[in-house]
Amino acid sequence: MAGLRLTFHLAGINNQNFLMRDDQTGSYWQQISGLAVAGPLRGHQLTLVPSDELTLTLWKSEEPRGTVLNDVPQYVFGYAKRDWDVRMKRAPTVIDFPEHGLKARDLMLGVQAFGASRAFPYEQVLREKLIKDRVGGEPLLILVGPDGESVRAFRDRIAGVNGAPDFYRLGVDQPDAVMMDAATGSRWNFQGCALSGPAKGTCLERLTMLKDYWFDWRNYNPKTSIYGIKP
Amino acid sequence: MRVQPPRRRFIFVLLVSLTLSLIAVVYPVYVIRPFRTQGARELAAALVVMRWRPAITVISALAALAMLAGYWRWELRRWPRILAAAGAGLVCLLAALARVNIYELMFHPDTRPAFLAASQVRLDGREKVIAVKIGESARAYPIRAISYHHVINDVVERVAIVATY
Repeated sequence: MAGLRLTFHLAGINNQNFLMRDDQTGSYWQQISGLAVAGPLRGHQLTLVPSDELTLTLWKSEEPRGTVLNDVPQYVFGYAKRDWDVRMKRAPTVIDFPEHGLKARDLMLGVQAFGASRAFPYEQVLREKLIKDRVGGEPLLILVGPDGESVRAFRDRIAGVNGAPDFYRLGVDQPDAVMMDAATGSRWNFQGCALSGPAKGTCLERLTMLKDYWFDWRNYNPKTSIYGIKP
Repeated sequence: MRVQPPRRRFIFVLLVSLTLSLIAVVYPVYVIRPFRTQGARELAAALVVMRWRPAITVISALAALAMLAGYWRWELRRWPRILAAAGAGLVCLLAALARVNIYELMFHPDTRPAFLAASQVRLDGREKVIAVKIGESARAYPIRAISYHHVINDVVERVAIVATY
């Protein structure tokens, strides 16, 4: 950033989304947006590195040669339990947007793409497993992984196919493949890549998705629409 | 002939140093605390104070110590000396507190993150991880750890990144 390699520290909180401070300039950065909100770099934006929230088993199956952050033994006592985000649902919030019947700490999967933002209720996504929807006028897919917990978003376009192809979820008896498209009959894995059929070797465009509480997502995306709720 | 000591000036400097140091330390903590709504203006003001408070508190401490040295020379009574020394000591204490990151006292930073090969990890497979891939390098940050440390400064494929949760 600005020719500097920045080192960040936890530095505060802004309506329950934390602030970071960099050592090099003393600027303060909002965690959710990567935007510098105070200091010499105010207005600068960190580049978002695409990421996924996956179960460890699924990630290891995809990246067997990957590396994992190790515990710091003296602080393990403070590490979160596996249902941390569910337990946090009981914690109070300082801001609330009680529209659409949503509770402040309802978990959402947020997508910012094509000039718009859209939130998908996490529990509903897990139930439906494959959602065909639109954001900013563009078709997208929300796909639950074979572990039933990990979720990814893709742009619903296949190179060489006109329009938005229909995708269908495959049963658990299909090795590796989790969905099939009606346009080419190809079978696709959770990474969004065709394993067989005419589209074999091509991959869908991934869209970055953020799992967040409703109050936080809504606070930073005031124009968000919500899947399943008409504006 | 002995000149009347400028006691009022010494006391004024001490009180100004103490007031500035108290504001510099207490105001950001008051505004930026969990489970309190942060308004945009007060947050902006608190961040400006936080940015400058190391300098503000050091200058205040130096001024308070200089005041104390002068005051000590002129004031021979015991209790005024003790009060002046306590005031200057409090300003110095605030200068030290201004350098403490209370958020990192609550959530200790992982300043030297270490990594294991995926095959060596013994965590429950249902644990969630935040996964990134840069070039051919894949990295996973277990949420159990990153939700405690909150900030991991890392380098993947020679790209400096900060993983946050």
